[in-house]
Amino acid sequence: MAALPRRIIKETQRLMQEPVPGISAVPSENNARYFHVIVTGPEDSPFEGGLFKLELFLPEDYPMSAPKVRFITKIYHPNIDRLGRICLDILKDKWSPALQIRTVLLSIQALLSAPNPDDPLANDVAELWKVNESEAIRNAKEWTRRYAMDN
Amino acid sequence: MEQFESLLTCCVCLDRFRNPKLLPCQHSFCMEPCMDGLVDYVRRQVKCPECRAEHRIPYQGVQGFPTNVTLQRFLELHANIAGELPDPTAGQVMERCNVCSEKAYCAPCAHCDKKVCEDCKSAHMEVLRREIARINNQIRRGVNRIQDILAIVERNTSNLQTNCGAVAGEVDEIHKRLSKALKDRTDFLRNEIDRYLATELRNLTHLKDNLELELSNIQSNSDLADKYMNDDVEWEDTELVDTKEIFLKTVEFLRNFDYEAGDYNRRIRFIMTHDPNQLVMHVASYGELNITHPNAYSTGLQQNQGLTRSKSDHRLATQFRQQEEAKGWMENEEPILGGRKFGERRPPPPEKHTRDYGTDDYSGYESEHRPSRRFRSRFVRSHQQDNDSDTEVTTRATKTEQKEKEKEKVADTEDATRGPLSGIFRLSDCPRVMQRILDVESGKKKEKKEPPPPPKPVQPTPQRQRPPPPVRQQSEDDEITRLKRQNKGAASSQEPDRAPPRPVEEERNTTSRKPPTPAREASSDGESDDESVGSLQRNQRKNTAPVPKPTVTRRPSASETASAHRPAARAASTESSASTESSGSAVKHTGAILSIEELKAKYSTDEAKPKPRSRFLSAGNERPTPATTNGTAGGAQRVQSRFVGSQRPTPAPAPAEPAHEDSDTSSEEETDSSEESEEEPVTQRKPESQTMARTDIGPLLARSSNARSDAQDNKSKDKDAPAQSRYRTRPSSQPEEEPAPRYGASGSSYSSRYGNKPKDEELTSSLDDDTKYPTARSRYLALKERRNRLARSKSSHTGFGGGDDDEDEPVSPTTASPSAYLAARYGSGTGGSELSRSRSSHALKSRESSPERPVAGEKDGAALSSWARYLKSKYGSRGKERDPSGTSSSTARRLSLGLPLRSANELASSDDDSKNAAGSPISPTAATAAVAGFAAAGSSPRSQYLQKRRLQFSVGNRGSEPGCFTWPRGIAVGPDNIMVVADSSNHRVQVFDSNGIFVKEFGQYGSGEGEFDCLAGIAVNRIGQYIIADRYNHRIQVFDPAGRFLRAFGSQGTGDGKFNYPWGITTDALGFIYVCDKENHRVQVFQSDGTFVGKFGSFGSKLGQLEHPHYIAVSSTNRVLVSDSNNHRIQVFDVNGRVLSSFGEEGSEDGQFKFPRGVAVDDQGYIVVADSGNNRIQIFHPDGAFLRAFGSWGSGDGEFKGLEGIAVMSGGNIIVCDRENHRVQVF
Repeated sequence: MAALPRRIIKETQRLMQEPVPGISAVPSENNARYFHVIVTGPEDSPFEGGLFKLELFLPEDYPMSAPKVRFITKIYHPNIDRLGRICLDILKDKWSPALQIRTVLLSIQALLSAPNPDDPLANDVAELWKVNESEAIRNAKEWTRRYAMDN
Repeated sequence: MEQFESLLTCCVCLDRFRNPKLLPCQHSFCMEPCMDGLVDYVRRQVKCPECRAEHRIPYQGVQGFPTNVTLQRFLELHANIAGELPDPTAGQVMERCNVCSEKAYCAPCAHCDKKVCEDCKSAHMEVLRREIARINNQIRRGVNRIQDILAIVERNTSNLQTNCGAVAGEVDEIHKRLSKALKDRTDFLRNEIDRYLATELRNLTHLKDNLELELSNIQSNSDLADKYMNDDVEWEDTELVDTKEIFLKTVEFLRNFDYEAGDYNRRIRFIMTHDPNQLVMHVASYGELNITHPNAYSTGLQQNQGLTRSKSDHRLATQFRQQEEAKGWMENEEPILGGRKFGERRPPPPEKHTRDYGTDDYSGYESEHRPSRRFRSRFVRSHQQDNDSDTEVTTRATKTEQKEKEKEKVADTEDATRGPLSGIFRLSDCPRVMQRILDVESGKKKEKKEPPPPPKPVQPTPQRQRPPPPVRQQSEDDEITRLKRQNKGAASSQEPDRAPPRPVEEERNTTSRKPPTPAREASSDGESDDESVGSLQRNQRKNTAPVPKPTVTRRPSASETASAHRPAARAASTESSASTESSGSAVKHTGAILSIEELKAKYSTDEAKPKPRSRFLSAGNERPTPATTNGTAGGAQRVQSRFVGSQRPTPAPAPAEPAHEDSDTSSEEETDSSEESEEEPVTQRKPESQTMARTDIGPLLARSSNARSDAQDNKSKDKDAPAQSRYRTRPSSQPEEEPAPRYGASGSSYSSRYGNKPKDEELTSSLDDDTKYPTARSRYLALKERRNRLARSKSSHTGFGGGDDDEDEPVSPTTASPSAYLAARYGSGTGGSELSRSRSSHALKSRESSPERPVAGEKDGAALSSWARYLKSKYGSRGKERDPSGTSSSTARRLSLGLPLRSANELASSDDDSKNAAGSPISPTAATAAVAGFAAAGSSPRSQYLQKRRLQFSVGNRGSEPGCFTWPRGIAVGPDNIMVVADSSNHRVQVFDSNGIFVKEFGQYGSGEGEFDCLAGIAVNRIGQYIIADRYNHRIQVFDPAGRFLRAFGSQGTGDGKFNYPWGITTDALGFIYVCDKENHRVQVFQSDGTFVGKFGSFGSKLGQLEHPHYIAVSSTNRVLVSDSNNHRIQVFDVNGRVLSSFGEEGSEDGQFKFPRGVAVDDQGYIVVADSGNNRIQIFHPDGAFLRAFGSWGSGDGEFKGLEGIAVMSGGNIIVCDRENHRVQVF
């Protein structure tokens, strides 16, 4: 196994030393490229109070390609599908090597507070979000309570 | 400041900028690897990570972007302010890592011998650390063996002490009793004589007085009668009558009185109940020492021999190891760490791929096993060593002089503490390790290197105390030569000279090293004297030596076999070259496996210090080693002192004088007596006697020695050495000693005279001989001699010696000057015993060694284990195996060997598994699919071979460029699965890596060193040396892993070690070289240095006979497979040349052959045969049962035109030389 690039080490160290508020990312014990991430639901959003688990994996050619991130905790969000996959441009074509784990996670946190139903991944959710935002938000709160506040 | 910091940080690598390049968007990034990684090669664009602006890449690539000089200045400034160390990688160029293929700053990695990136390197180091820890555990578990052995040695030491003490006491007791008896008897006889003298004297005086009185009476009577018995006086008749009566009585008295002169004339005679000479003989040899326990040491060891190995394996392995080391010496190759100092980087790799087994791993593993082996061998060595002593000095001297320069460097601390048995040094003594530890402790640096595993220091302790550490000598060789030179001039103390090279020694080293020093002084003494004096002193030394330990020194017994004792005995025995020689011959027998040279080389390692003195003293003494190993200071001291004492007696010079004089005077006596007793020309006799003496002893000594020792030496020795040794080596004090020469002299003065008289004269002259004998004893002798003379029987000799074997020539013993004769007799006695001893030791040796060689099973253990070690070092860390079966088989073996599975191995295998799943060649047929499934599940080479049919790749075509062939013949697999091909008609060897990529070539046409003439077979031994059958030059050449010529041996002929078109060649795990001597129809076996070991096979078609054997292979179980080409069969021999089995006959069915050529065997014993005439490859079970065949005539893939050598890679790939297609195919 090729050893960890310095950049990953640096990033990991910095994540440990200066954690981003509301975000915790801990590398797996047996794979330093795999992170267990917990993101708190942002304030003033339907996800407030929830603790959302994610997994983040740094591919072989990171930072030249984007990390793979996925929600493990079920979430009611127009840009996140039932499998937890996230529709976020910087995770796709807008990825830049100048981005880091922390920026990615911050973006995801921001995505929670600002759903973008116009670029949906979960079409039913996006539809509801567009048609009946309040109900959608209620659903989102409900899911958050049900799935993200258990423990 | 932090912001400033962040400005200097590349946002891609999050490191300080390295060679920042400015994009048109004004953002800067490191050129490598950041900017490099951003390049979109398809669109020749680079997208700024910061602003996502896209820029065209300049023509010359990203380095065409301008460097951000401002930023660079800032970087420099910041570095200056912050006092940062300059970027260590500055100025370096990134390369692709040879392991992960990432572009990075690469550095050579000692583990894999490649240039790898930091990360891979650290991973490798981690692997090494784990391995070290694991091996360390093994060591810890194994250490107790050493401890046990140590305990046993200690016990043996004390046993030895008590034993010898008891025997010494016995001898002393006997000595006391004998001398008391002698003294008592002498006193008694003296008293008798005195009393007799007194009585007789008294009687005589009395008689004298009486006679005087008588005389005066008679005289006065006569006078009176004359005067007065005349008429002048008136006498009465009665008076006259009475007078007359008195006178008559007087007359009668005078007439009758007769003094019985005989009574007082008689003499007392001293008659000995036994022949004095015999008596002296008996006393002189009144006891022998019989060593009843020849294997005292080895048995002790045997109990402790390892769990799996028998001692012979150890021996063999040791020899192999030592051989390796010795070779390393001779050819500047590698001892334990490849001659490097600890932690030093390997010298620039001469060749990649050749020596991949990690050295550390290797040595670590070694350390586990070696001590015991060495230990065992030490006892063997102790006497083996003798033989090199004289010859070696010269050879080594020249060698060392050449290498003086380089070696000086090697003298370093780590060498100083090297364990003498294993060559392992204490890691904590290495400067580098110390530095590391210091660093760790002071917390200055991150610990980079593994701290020395603690047990290593623990383990070597017992061994380390022995003075001659194997490796150090290299550094001291030169020193020794220097010393020698000095000694030639004047014997000065060497201490100062010795001191500098190892100032760092610890106490134990200094103590243990002391003994040799005085020894050397002694030798220098000897050397400084001129030759004759030297020899005298030598003798003298010997003579004085026994005093402290009489029991050990005088030992004519033939049964002294315990090698540890031998040195002492020999030291005491006559210092004849014969004794050393005989031991040398003993060595020959023992070490049939090793040549003398090798031994020399090998032992030279241990010999440096002892060497000088070994010239004078038999080499047994050179080994103070057993002493020190005992570990107990007391024991060490004792044994040491014994050895040292015996070879270098402190009183040497002083007693030498008297002794010399003694012998002188005795010889003077002889000559005197002979001179006065006869008129014969003395001059003639002298040389004659000498020659006689020589012939008398010479043959015996010579026989005992096998030897052609220099006559000069013998002569001088025969003259004085035996004479002295005869009387002086006896553990007797001076007074007792004296009688002996006296007897010899006086007794034989007669004999010498007698001997030289013409026989006719003898009768007449013998008559007046009586008068010449001053003492009764000599008269007795004379009488006896006369009788003998008359009888002309051999009893004259028996009178002297009792049963001499040259009765037929009566002159010989007698003409010899008497003491010389006695000496000669005795000398011959010693010679004889020497002979018998050496013989017996031979016998013992051969007995000892015989089980080792022939018993294949035992050897297998060693072979297997060393092979396993090889495998482990080779694959364990690399994970090169392609096949799951390969790994599983190796793990299986590991299991069978009782070795723990290695994590690295598992890692590798898991790796391989995944690879395999993707890339294994699963052919579409159901059968193979099933087989593949089977392979995945159970994995056997069988299944693996069953699926062999598809060509993986082929290498080369006709030509003479690199990578092309002209009739390739032999092929072999080297370390790291390199393929080595004997490109026969291009007269060169080509090396390819496991993927068929050309690596290198060497050799050209010719008959010089490193040149070939249609080479045929090729083999690569365990240490990566190439062994090549140079066919038309009728020789074998050996090249080092880099392809440099090492040596050649053999020439055309039919004798041992000669060849007639040698063809196939192979080597076994122990490095023995097996050569198919094709036109001699036999197989010859050599040691790795080319020493002939054995041969088997003769022309014919019967079992065990061969007709044009072409190729040969040795399995890991030491079965030797020979392709008996013209008999169309494969024969299987054991390593001793006994036929085990044979299979195949002419034909083209399965299992039949037509002129089979190449033969190979994999590590599971599966046999692969290049069935040349049928143009196919056949695979057989280890028992010879047919498994599979594939291939046909043609030039396509998997088709052949005439097969030659074949070999199996460790992963099971079969490589074969397709001769007429001029290529190598891999299956």
